[in-house]
Amino acid sequence: MRPHRRKRLGIILFIATGLSVAIGLTLYALSQNIDLFYTPTQVAQGEVAAGQRIRIGGMVREGSVVSADDSLAVEFVATDYVHDVPIFHEGILPDLFREGQGIVVEGSLDTAGVFQASRVLAKHDENYMSPEVKAALDAAGASSESHQMQPGT
Amino acid sequence: MDWTWFHKWGSPKWFYELSGKWLPWLVGSMVLCLTVGIVWALLFVPQDYQQGLTNRIFYVHVPVASISLAFFPLMAIAGTVFLVWRMKLADVVVKVAAPLGAWFTALALASGSIWGVDTWGTWWIWDGRLTSLLLQFFLLLGVVSLRTALEDSEGAARACALLSIVGCINVVVIKYSVDWWNTLHQPSTDFSIAADQANGPEIWVPLVFMILAVYLFFAISLILSTRNEILQREKRSQWVMELVKRS
Amino acid sequence: MQFSSFQEFIQMGGYAFNVWSVYGMFAVFLAVNLLGPLRRNKQIIRELKRRYELNAPAQSGASSANSSAESVGDSQ
Repeated sequence: MRPHRRKRLGIILFIATGLSVAIGLTLYALSQNIDLFYTPTQVAQGEVAAGQRIRIGGMVREGSVVSADDSLAVEFVATDYVHDVPIFHEGILPDLFREGQGIVVEGSLDTAGVFQASRVLAKHDENYMSPEVKAALDAAGASSESHQMQPGT
Repeated sequence: MDWTWFHKWGSPKWFYELSGKWLPWLVGSMVLCLTVGIVWALLFVPQDYQQGLTNRIFYVHVPVASISLAFFPLMAIAGTVFLVWRMKLADVVVKVAAPLGAWFTALALASGSIWGVDTWGTWWIWDGRLTSLLLQFFLLLGVVSLRTALEDSEGAARACALLSIVGCINVVVIKYSVDWWNTLHQPSTDFSIAADQANGPEIWVPLVFMILAVYLFFAISLILSTRNEILQREKRSQWVMELVKRS
Repeated sequence: MQFSSFQEFIQMGGYAFNVWSVYGMFAVFLAVNLLGPLRRNKQIIRELKRRYELNAPAQSGASSANSSAESVGDSQ
């Protein structure tokens, strides 16, 4: 490599490194706000004020879903298996909503500590399999579903 | 070290002739992989225990989205080669890759949206993965428009090369967004060799065919556009004149 | 085979719109980015042919085309 080319490569590397560091630091500063949702543990620790519009992510606790007969209202508990948040929602649920499913709810906490959700989204995990494989794994007690949603960092 | 191979690669004429010999083989392999992949994905993959038959979208979305992340690194390498060695062919690659990358990113976003609308319950959310991929789409449009906006072709080439190098940072963000932050988008899947586990061969073997097919398509489309750009840039050279007369 | 009838295949378990619109977009994406450059290639060759024919009489002979070696590859 000729000297003037080495110099040119050096300048480019310097600019690219400088820009990377600048962008990296900016992202690091922003990273607190990039999280899409709070975990139930963060809610229990009082990080969220009542009335503040937020999202909470967790699992639908098994056996906690109570749907009304005459309306679309549904109550359930979102959990990260450390802390729980009771959720109330009136409206359409995604196809993947079921007990044990990871979900993200949008809304705000009321003064009674119940989360009034205006929207419920299902969080799909990264595992794909047929119902047969799923049934076999469940029978073996090795379902990966309980690891589906790790509490946020 | 002998650098002649490197300079030979920079010769547009040499590239044009060699790629002409490769193309039939590349197209043949792509058609084969695409046929096997699509038939397998649509007809034979078992339905997902949660998603049912929407899992068909996985076999388009995953290859297209993962290969869309290859564009900025490719353009950055080509851009560096252009800036340091002034190799014209490298600039041609930067130029033709940008619009193709925008197509890939747009399809990744659109297919993800249509997948999400029933499974997640929303077609869009500003989470880390989706937002950073949308940023990549705009960055690629930025590279495309920078080229047309700057009259001075040498200056435009340098600016595009530099933007491509910087744009690589966003690729790292897209890749690790699902691990760094809470996102609605699921993390990357660890595939398993065992048939009786989640993400077993019945899921990933057809995916391998689709990824190969989309990679080959990426190569073919890039080569075709590169050849077109070479013809236009070298239109005053003897070999292009002869080639045009022969056709 | 996951389907027992053609109708079942088209319906995609209730996700016909989602699955078929994604595969449709994929087909358009492949067609545009393969057929587009191929058509452009024919167009460029046609344009260049016309251009060379227009310039040919003025340059008196085909051998006058210069810079074939210089324009190739690395400039230094």
